Amino acid sequence: MKKQIAFLGAAILICYTALFVKFNQVQVFEADSLNNRTDNTRSLQRDFNEPRGSIITADGVVAAYSEERRAALRYQRIYPEAQLLAGVTGYFSFSLGSNGVERSYNDELAGRTTALKLRQLTGLFSDASNAGDVVLSVRRDVQATARDALGDREGAVVALDPRTGAIIALWSSPSFDPNALSSNDTEAAANYKKFIDAVPQKPLLNRAYQDNFFPGSTFKVVTGSAGLISGTVTPAVPDYPVVTSYTPPLTRQAISNFDGTPCGGTLFVILARSCNSSFAQMASEQLGPDPMISTAEAYGFNDRPPIDLPDPARSLYPTDFGKVVERPPGRAPVYEDTPRLAQTAIGQNDVRATPLQMALVAAGVANRGSIMVPHVMSEIRSRDGDVVDEYDPDEWRRATSPEIAETMRQAMLGVVSDGSARNMAIPGLDVGAKTGTAQLGTTPPRSHGWMIAFAGPPGRPPEIAVAVLVENLTGASSDTGGANAGPVAKAVIQTALGAG
Amino acid sequence: MTATAPPSPSARTPDLRAIVTRRRTTELGLLVLVAIVVVSAYALASLGRNASLPANIGPFLGVILGLILVAHLVVRRWAGAADPLLLPLVALLNGIGFVFIARLDEQLAALQATWTGVGIAAFVVTLLVVRDIRVLQRYRYTFGLIGVVLLLLPLLPVFGRNINGARIWVAFGPVSFQPGEFAKIALAIFFAGYLVERREVLGVATFKVGPINTPDPRQFGPILAAWAVSLLVVIFERDLGSALLFFLLFVVVLWVATGRAAYLAAGGVLFGLGAVASWAFFSHVQQRVSIWINPWADPQGSGYQIIQGAYALAWGGTTGVGPGLGIVGRIPFDETDFIIAIIGEELGLLGTTAVLVTFLLIAGSGLRIARSAGATFGTLLAVGLTALIAFQAFIIMAGVTRLLPLTGVTLPFISYGGSSLVANYVLIALLLRISDQSVRRSPDPLAAL
Repeated sequence: MKKQIAFLGAAILICYTALFVKFNQVQVFEADSLNNRTDNTRSLQRDFNEPRGSIITADGVVAAYSEERRAALRYQRIYPEAQLLAGVTGYFSFSLGSNGVERSYNDELAGRTTALKLRQLTGLFSDASNAGDVVLSVRRDVQATARDALGDREGAVVALDPRTGAIIALWSSPSFDPNALSSNDTEAAANYKKFIDAVPQKPLLNRAYQDNFFPGSTFKVVTGSAGLISGTVTPAVPDYPVVTSYTPPLTRQAISNFDGTPCGGTLFVILARSCNSSFAQMASEQLGPDPMISTAEAYGFNDRPPIDLPDPARSLYPTDFGKVVERPPGRAPVYEDTPRLAQTAIGQNDVRATPLQMALVAAGVANRGSIMVPHVMSEIRSRDGDVVDEYDPDEWRRATSPEIAETMRQAMLGVVSDGSARNMAIPGLDVGAKTGTAQLGTTPPRSHGWMIAFAGPPGRPPEIAVAVLVENLTGASSDTGGANAGPVAKAVIQTALGAG
Repeated sequence: MTATAPPSPSARTPDLRAIVTRRRTTELGLLVLVAIVVVSAYALASLGRNASLPANIGPFLGVILGLILVAHLVVRRWAGAADPLLLPLVALLNGIGFVFIARLDEQLAALQATWTGVGIAAFVVTLLVVRDIRVLQRYRYTFGLIGVVLLLLPLLPVFGRNINGARIWVAFGPVSFQPGEFAKIALAIFFAGYLVERREVLGVATFKVGPINTPDPRQFGPILAAWAVSLLVVIFERDLGSALLFFLLFVVVLWVATGRAAYLAAGGVLFGLGAVASWAFFSHVQQRVSIWINPWADPQGSGYQIIQGAYALAWGGTTGVGPGLGIVGRIPFDETDFIIAIIGEELGLLGTTAVLVTFLLIAGSGLRIARSAGATFGTLLAVGLTALIAFQAFIIMAGVTRLLPLTGVTLPFISYGGSSLVANYVLIALLLRISDQSVRRSPDPLAAL
């Protein structure tokens, strides 16, 4: 019997070893994936029962804070600015999850980063919460200007500091009320969600960086840069013919200038007057696909900008134009899709850009060819006000050389001083800009209006870069974009730089 | 006259006295440690929950020490030579279980405290009444009958109660209990007694199937009977865990008694047949299996409990979130079947491992008692009782962690539940009695340790 008892002991030991392995699997090896499952609301429940840091704008306005309640969930998130900063703060809902800064800086707000935890260690037995406050680079006053200037039109405004990538305004219209979505009354939150999801404009989608559009003529800044980079275009040559339209090889479909007006000249002139024919010709005859693709990607197309907000959209530029069909002497080879290439040169066809991306194009030109990582956080503070972490600016893309950026900067200044964006001139500031009217259809003529711009004190590096998109305008003439988006961009620059 | 005379019986007494002193001192020391651990855990859980020490910490400490002292003194007086580890180990489990029940539900904790008192009383009564383990052997058929009656009692129309899908409760007026918890002890006694008598016959391979010698097929009658009873329990009481436990108990004891692996094989085959048949014919069995395979098929319905259990364990991680700091109120039956998930959440892998090790030590002590028991009956009974406690703990923890399909049984000494607690204290008392008796009756007590 002793042998059997020993065997039985071994069998029990094996059973318990299997249990030990299983406990290890559940509690250690698979713990993270179990904790992160979407139907696992444990971390959420913890977050709603602990104090949470506030979100504060660069000009000191509280955009989000937690209020203690005597209820099952101890803290209710409050957004005093409601719609105005919703696109930046996002929401923090027990039943619907979170978005915006509430999501991307959840660990900081909940006090779960190492830096915040270490601070609390020093006061181990104190009651102090280790929650952190997130201070934004976004300014409430500039954001409010963007909102007021855009009014109830659909669109978006992005303003940022080209030198650091710090976002000053990020407005998407229409917006939503984060208070309603974040209500701890889950039924009220669900009702509001149902309502907001039914709105055709999709307010929960932040069109400033989560959706992309035809960039229209603002993309000519990229095409012009590609020309300069390739060396085939300089401020002096070529001098494009003054024509009403240009027909690329392999097609009979002409690319016309706005309103059928004749247009042409050297780089500065064609940018100032926004000549479709010239830029189409530049792409199809001087450049070919490769410089266009590499320059667009150098500006950040076909990649998600590493912004510190959830789910940024990619901006798109085609990467395949088919095979070479002809090699005319002294010109770029003709590709199967050269007609399409010509259209992309003026921001039509398969080009798509987020307003954020177009602001980054202006910023790259303004910042000597260097595009900084865009971000909304400027610093993290402990609840007693000490700075725990600061955003460390970093380059995202080197779009062009400083020399080429300087040439493009001059060209964009020319668009304001002597071109289609004269309405952007602000006394006391150097302003460079580019208009855009992305055609959506001809019957009836509809378009997205664009303005990208940079501005700063004369003779100094620009301090702000802006992109404004106004969607679904009636009409598609040359100044549709500039006339609608221009005043918004101008107002934002004036508020931000305190000029005019 | 001569120095080579064999030691007289009286010469054993000093040895025995030394053993009693040593073992009981060890036990007392361990019990004091257990009291410190349990009271600290109780205070910590309260601190974690309310940031204050419990108001009743003084009386609580008093009651714990009182119960422990009573149990210890009774063992010292009436089973002095018994194993010194068992009582501290079960006191630890009982105490930790109480801390977690109190952390989940104050009202249940008060009831559990009462049941602990009743359990200790039953422990004392068992040690006082069963002064000689062989008395039980004499009444083996009575116990067998009692066991079957207790097992089938819930099926009675008037007294039986269907609670949470299983018909394992019996109510007499205001008092309701699970007779199955006591049936398993009665059946363990019956099996041990029956097999002492029959092991010779059952152990002889007189029958040839091809090249294999097996016992006479007629001798498989008892194992078939045990199998049939287990299936009845599965079918009519829907209590898969207990059925598995009874069958396991019988096969293990039969195997140890006869030393014939053929019984293990036969048991395995019968278990397989029973399992497949139950799965084929009963929807509640099918449901258990599909939840086991993929609880996420119905995360808000049938899979909810096991998923929430896994989330609790994962939330605890390696070191746990701390006593009283877990997020509770999410797991159905977290105070009974799923209490290990709460322990895993608040004490982490360290806590669950500690529970595993404690049960392993109990199993080790039980098997050591079985090995050193002088009489076959004591050995077989100790094996049966040890297997019961070790496999019951295994079955429920394997169910919670999805190592096996979930079958609802209590985690011995930890889960809330009066029947289980009282029955398990009786079980431990019987093990201590066997241990004490084998040491006392051994011609060389020191060798019998």
